[in-house]
Amino acid sequence: VSASSIGRLVMLFLVRWSRYNPYYLEPEPRKELYNMPETELTTEQKEERELKAVRPIKATTNSTTSSVFNDPVLSKFVNMMMRDGEKILARGILTQTLESLKRKQVEKYHKAPQGKKAEIECNPYAIFHQALENCMPVIGLASIQKGGKFYQVPVPLTDNRRRFLAMKWMITECRDNKNRRTLMYEKLSQELLAAYSKEGNVIKRKHELHKMAESNRAYAHYRWW
Amino acid sequence: MAPTAVSNKLKATHRKQFQELQEAGEKGERERTMTLHRLFPLRLRQTIAQVRLLHGSGCGHQLEEVAMEPELRKETSVFRTQVNDPACQSERHLGQYYTLPTSHLHTIFPHGLPARYQQQVKTFNEGCVMVRQPALELISYLKAADYSKPAVRYLLYGLKGSGKTMSLCHTIHYCSTQGWLVLHIPDAHLWVKNCKELLPSSYHTSRFDQPIEASNWLRNFRTTNERFLSKIKLRQRYTWTKRESTEKGSPLGELVDMGVSRVKSSSDVVGAVLKELRLQAAETEESEGFRLAVAIDGVNSLWGRTTIKKEDKSPVAPEELTLIHNLRKMIDNNWCGGAVIATLSQTGSLYSPSSAYLPKELLGEEGFDSMDPFIPVPVSNYSEKEFESCYLYYLDRHWLQHPHSKTDEGKKEIIFLSNRNPSVLERLCAFL
Repeated sequence: VSASSIGRLVMLFLVRWSRYNPYYLEPEPRKELYNMPETELTTEQKEERELKAVRPIKATTNSTTSSVFNDPVLSKFVNMMMRDGEKILARGILTQTLESLKRKQVEKYHKAPQGKKAEIECNPYAIFHQALENCMPVIGLASIQKGGKFYQVPVPLTDNRRRFLAMKWMITECRDNKNRRTLMYEKLSQELLAAYSKEGNVIKRKHELHKMAESNRAYAHYRWW
Repeated sequence: MAPTAVSNKLKATHRKQFQELQEAGEKGERERTMTLHRLFPLRLRQTIAQVRLLHGSGCGHQLEEVAMEPELRKETSVFRTQVNDPACQSERHLGQYYTLPTSHLHTIFPHGLPARYQQQVKTFNEGCVMVRQPALELISYLKAADYSKPAVRYLLYGLKGSGKTMSLCHTIHYCSTQGWLVLHIPDAHLWVKNCKELLPSSYHTSRFDQPIEASNWLRNFRTTNERFLSKIKLRQRYTWTKRESTEKGSPLGELVDMGVSRVKSSSDVVGAVLKELRLQAAETEESEGFRLAVAIDGVNSLWGRTTIKKEDKSPVAPEELTLIHNLRKMIDNNWCGGAVIATLSQTGSLYSPSSAYLPKELLGEEGFDSMDPFIPVPVSNYSEKEFESCYLYYLDRHWLQHPHSKTDEGKKEIIFLSNRNPSVLERLCAFL
């Protein structure tokens, strides 16, 4: 069995995290692309389709869905909340959080007078996304070594890093600073509602990071990228 | 496209679908109304419709409602009905939601409704129940039954989450509004497991008392049946201790209050209350009698096993518990003037497989022989029309918030995921 043919064999275990031969194509879970009739395809898409007929395709992760309710940000959040690989528990906590958010808001909505009803946001997904956006820092700090000492230098952050920091702060805040008897979903829903209205401990942490960056403005030129 | 425009367009399409389904069922009535329209002018038509209804249902107060209903139906209430009295509901209202008045919610159902439904009532600021075929069937049997004969036993059975407890609550609402005395045991499974205090019974040496459960139940019984407590007089003298006794001829309220305050003898008080009601329900309406409805949720726990243990770690059989023993006497059909409505439940049951839902499997040999003969009432998942109604209700109450859940694709996905099972649908829509 020569070296070149080993690369072509499909591994029987740990398929996803092994280095796939570039011969393998990425899977496509979205339904709309398969329903498009022949006429609407561009030349590239037609070529892609012909390629998919012959080439092997990588295995998808367990959390890939073609469902209309699939949200990549929420999936990322669930993965970050997960411990010891218990995705079912993490997803359950998230669904309970969304439910409790919705319940609080819908109750407020039904009890509010007619004029105030339009201001109350009942969609838990909108609240979640807005709260996360309110928590995302604009500028971050990087530890740069210059002349034997390490300085905290203000540095621009990529979108992924900002989103990661917002989610991480939210989860650590809800894990550490809660009463022993409160459940995770209760605390999460309280924090998300507070972040939606720009209050709460996570927003405070973001402001503290911004203040640190502002105070270390002098070291900004230590950054070379 | 503005969200309100989208939702209005959706509401129009949903309304059309719902109306098509309704019309398929009402074809005969439509033909009759077509002839009416051809032969008579508008004003005469209205009087004819009203007169027909007078002869038909016998619910006089419905006249105004009928005149109003056509206009109301044209608005968003295809899934709602204004007929809030269970006695006046008929097949026309199948799949529609009626509102439980708040006063009734607090008096009739202090402990009867499922937990998730209570949360829903709190969130939506109203309690709406769907009129479904099993409940309507049960109510029609109750209307047609002869109450001078021994009590008929009805058993609601079905898959998990298909709406047995809600159908039971609908029937209890009917019984309450008709002036019956309702004996509602919200979950008989709670009496055979997780008992914190088990006292040996003073009345019978080999039996055990459960003071906490009994006093809780008596408190709720008092809230449900306030008006009967002063009217019913005891036929017998009950002695509790050497110094305490309840005299013959004293009102039932005194007995119930004693049971709530003296927690130690509350199980025996429950037994006494059940016995008195059983004896007195047999009287006719003229001599200040009443009809008795015994409603038990999770009746299969009465003949199963318990998880309660005696002090020497040996298990307690259900017969050895006073509450269960007295309840079994109520289920026997040796008394007249009422009905026994029971629900099977696998969810809280002990030592039964989760796939079991039929009466024979859940009741066991002993239970089936005690319940036999009974009228089984199957409860199934939502039909297409009922699902439409539920979907429209959630949309109306702003419960379905995910933008995709309001599209056709999302709706198809919801149907696929829930298989139209009411409780699964409710849990699914909770986070969508």
